[in-house]
Amino acid sequence: MSNVIDRSREIGPYIPAPDDDRIICRCEEVTQGEIRRAVHEGMWTMTEIRRYLRTGMGLCQGQTCGKLVKGIVARELGVPMAALEPATSRVPMRPIEMRVFANEAKEGGEHE
Amino acid sequence: MSNCAEVVIIGGGIIGCATAYYLAKRGVDVIVLEGSDHIGNGGSSRNGGGVRQSGRDPRELPLVMYGIKNFWPTLSEELEADCEYHQDGNLRLGKSEKHRQILEGLTERAQKAGLDVTMIDGDEVRRINPYLSGEVTCASWCPTDGHANPLTTTLGYYKTARKLGVRFITGENVTELRKRKGRLVEVITENNRYGAGSVVLAAGLGSRELAATVGIDIPMQPAMLEALVTEAQPPMFDQMLGTAEADFYGHQTKHGSFVFGGSSGLEGFTRDNGTPICYSKTAPCICRGIMKYFPHLADAKIVRTWAGWMDKCADGVPVLGTVEEVPGLILAAGFTGHGFGIAPAVGDQLAELIVTGNTTVDISALHYDRFRAKI
Amino acid sequence: MKRYDLIVVGAGPSGLSAAIEAAKRGLRTVVFDENEKPGGQLFKQIHKFFGSREHRAKIRGYVIGQQLLEEADSLGVEVRLNATVIGLYQDKEVVVKLADEVVHCKGDAIIIATGAAENMVTFEGWTLPGVIGAGAAQTMMNLHGIKPGQRVLMLGSGNVGLVVSFQLLQCGCEVVALVDAAPKIGGYGVHAAKIARTGVPFYLSHTIVRAEGDDCVTGVTIAKVDEHFQFIPGTEKKFEVDTICLAVGLSPMSQLLKMAGCKMEDNPRRGGQVPICDAYGRTSLAGVFVAGDVSGIEEASSAMIEGRMAGIAACEYLGFMEKEELAAQLASQERALDGLRQGMFAPQNRGRAVAETEEGIAVSASLLRHGYISDDEIERFPGITHRAGVHPVMECTQNIPCNPCQDACPKGCISIGANITSLPVVVESAECMNCGMCVASCSGQAIFLVEEDCGDDTATVTLPYEFLPLPAAGTKGDALGRSGQRVCEAEVVGVRSAKAFDKTNLLTIKVPKEYAMKARFFRSMHN
Repeated sequence: MSNVIDRSREIGPYIPAPDDDRIICRCEEVTQGEIRRAVHEGMWTMTEIRRYLRTGMGLCQGQTCGKLVKGIVARELGVPMAALEPATSRVPMRPIEMRVFANEAKEGGEHE
Repeated sequence: MSNCAEVVIIGGGIIGCATAYYLAKRGVDVIVLEGSDHIGNGGSSRNGGGVRQSGRDPRELPLVMYGIKNFWPTLSEELEADCEYHQDGNLRLGKSEKHRQILEGLTERAQKAGLDVTMIDGDEVRRINPYLSGEVTCASWCPTDGHANPLTTTLGYYKTARKLGVRFITGENVTELRKRKGRLVEVITENNRYGAGSVVLAAGLGSRELAATVGIDIPMQPAMLEALVTEAQPPMFDQMLGTAEADFYGHQTKHGSFVFGGSSGLEGFTRDNGTPICYSKTAPCICRGIMKYFPHLADAKIVRTWAGWMDKCADGVPVLGTVEEVPGLILAAGFTGHGFGIAPAVGDQLAELIVTGNTTVDISALHYDRFRAKI
Repeated sequence: MKRYDLIVVGAGPSGLSAAIEAAKRGLRTVVFDENEKPGGQLFKQIHKFFGSREHRAKIRGYVIGQQLLEEADSLGVEVRLNATVIGLYQDKEVVVKLADEVVHCKGDAIIIATGAAENMVTFEGWTLPGVIGAGAAQTMMNLHGIKPGQRVLMLGSGNVGLVVSFQLLQCGCEVVALVDAAPKIGGYGVHAAKIARTGVPFYLSHTIVRAEGDDCVTGVTIAKVDEHFQFIPGTEKKFEVDTICLAVGLSPMSQLLKMAGCKMEDNPRRGGQVPICDAYGRTSLAGVFVAGDVSGIEEASSAMIEGRMAGIAACEYLGFMEKEELAAQLASQERALDGLRQGMFAPQNRGRAVAETEEGIAVSASLLRHGYISDDEIERFPGITHRAGVHPVMECTQNIPCNPCQDACPKGCISIGANITSLPVVVESAECMNCGMCVASCSGQAIFLVEEDCGDDTATVTLPYEFLPLPAAGTKGDALGRSGQRVCEAEVVGVRSAKAFDKTNLLTIKVPKEYAMKARFFRSMHN
């Protein structure tokens, strides 16, 4: 469901915090400060943050950091966490080797 | 805040964002309306990142060459965002005699248009990219092609345009364009109305329906393309890759992951349920295609696959520029799956067109009025 | 393409329960699970479950897992392990990774029962090796037989934090502290009490400031927080630990649903992003159902019922059951589920401060704050009575849906009544025969058999004991109070183990009679 959001709304300046160097997305090594700065640069949705910084694009696909990133973005925007839709989920649910993904079983166990 | 601007751009993809940026740079007051919740949510975030000249139709070639010469090399500094632009060439690969014929045809056409492209043999291909399998027997080689990161580039244009004062509004779904006294001056959304001196229609596939509200038809239809990305791999090569048969295309990103796009042959016939949802047979097919060329990547893990709609124009090139029948309307749609690499040039030229009434590059071949019956 | 009547994703409590209900009615059913062992979290649950008989109360989780597997097997359910469903596509098609290939198959109905994953919190040093999830600790201990560490600090006082802390103690770890930023304990009081009485300190309104260490965790600093969860300077406490366990909630693993285009909502009360579904797990995608934690975080007992309901609903959807039967079947499952969703910890009471029990008794403030009931609070609860001879003392002070104790006593000494959440009361007219069944039956380890005056100025206390080594009769040591503090000397005078006790040993200790109502745990001298 789309909400009309004017990206010119004033959210105040980015003020550095002492714990901005803390890693939030472990897979892609994205820090709290990078996430906070990105919000002030206009990345206001979880999807935009992910595309801009790669949070949640690593091996765990955001299972670990999704809520953490969301908490930071929500606080920076001054909105409740539930107002931010999590980034999309994609196939595969777990990382899979190219040779396995390519190897489609036929019925009866033979391969194409 | 007033809902009027000198220019209202419909569509917050890379075309809309780049146009907004180059307009704002020229001092124009701009509003961008994006129908989804996210900037760059269509093809802009779903493409394979090619910044190519080779393989393109001669009608759009001057524009993309202009962009590669004037914008891409300095884009990261300009946008203060790492666009990850690499100009390390494009290899279009072939494995058979039939492929060679396709590639020679493309090469000849591009050479005529003044592009530096050559045909090379399998050994030469493997000198450029030693990871390619022995099955590869020939390729077309364009050393000035390259690739970039579509996500950071699109969002970089957005970020910088926003900083220059462009007003971006997301979740603002446009339903109608309205003329008054013969000129397009109003954009109507589900919730609001916007007044505009000019309107740039850059809404991807949605452009067709919106153009129709002022009686203009852009002959294009959807086709779903898919892409996938691997986990990070050690740095292997920097070229952009494609194949004669178009079974896949892609490159290794700065991050180390490989992004490959491709298709199953069933594009245009897939069903969707409201969102572009991957087709179960496509990713395995892309993987098989890649492995024939890059046996090395067989153990690389795929971490994501995704799908996106391409706005496939009837003759394969975009519809660009003003519309005489609807003064105030500027079209920028139908990019047919290759709108990313050309976007900086399109944004700049449309901005120039709006401000001065002229363009440095001749875009008349991309005029909306070009479509003719076959006999 | 291979086609099943029903494909279930996830062989945990809800997935297996769903498959059982479907297979019972003739559906050709397959269950895929990415793990090498089935059962989801059940096989990590070595404690006895709460509830009533229909909820398999007082049975240990892993045994419930075995029972479900056997039942599924006997009904012909195909359970495929090491089978990762990597995608849910249109037309109810799943792609499953099996060994070195992917298999496409379709289900006329699909039940997603993929469960949940652990949440994390961040603090300085949170990425150091040694900071682990409580669920990970449980997996290491109970599935793989690996001790997660020597000295552990647990963050989170919900049931997961409490249960895993107890398991860490059982595994031989030292739990140096149980910490929670909230001002009161989140999980069942009885779970907290059985940890507190072993001497583990609780730090409520505290959280982790930083994990210490260069290459791995060597210590942890916690500090008190104010009502806005901000650190109060000067309140720091440092512990030497090698492991920090985080039990800070779960998030539904709903990715398969989202990628398939199912309508989702972000619902903090359900733990995060969940599919929009009705009470029987029907989602916005026709024929796709959900059950268990993936549709909202609860616990295994309710997950099993949700699984059954989704399985039943799928049967009706596919025409294996008539509408009339559906209503009757669902109604009985709903009654069972309602039974579990009662009491102080019911979903509707989440986050609410409950001041009094259903009986109108003030809840123990000390229990919520420190993990144990103070000596001056204990007497007001109906499970505590005094009489000559051995008699049960039930330190069960919160309304939770659990009643095995009333059936456990062959003499009828214990009554809960029709309302499953009522506090147990002692039936004055019945005579205790000191059989110990009540002690072993209590999943919360909250029942003791006490003889307050043995006639020689001593008293005996029989307590549940689930640690190794088991002290022999004659072992001398200390009696610990509810707070874990030493109260007096004690000697083991009896050790009982029986099949009917289901691995809960009963230790009878002798203490001076003034400590009869204080001594609640035993620590032998050489410890």
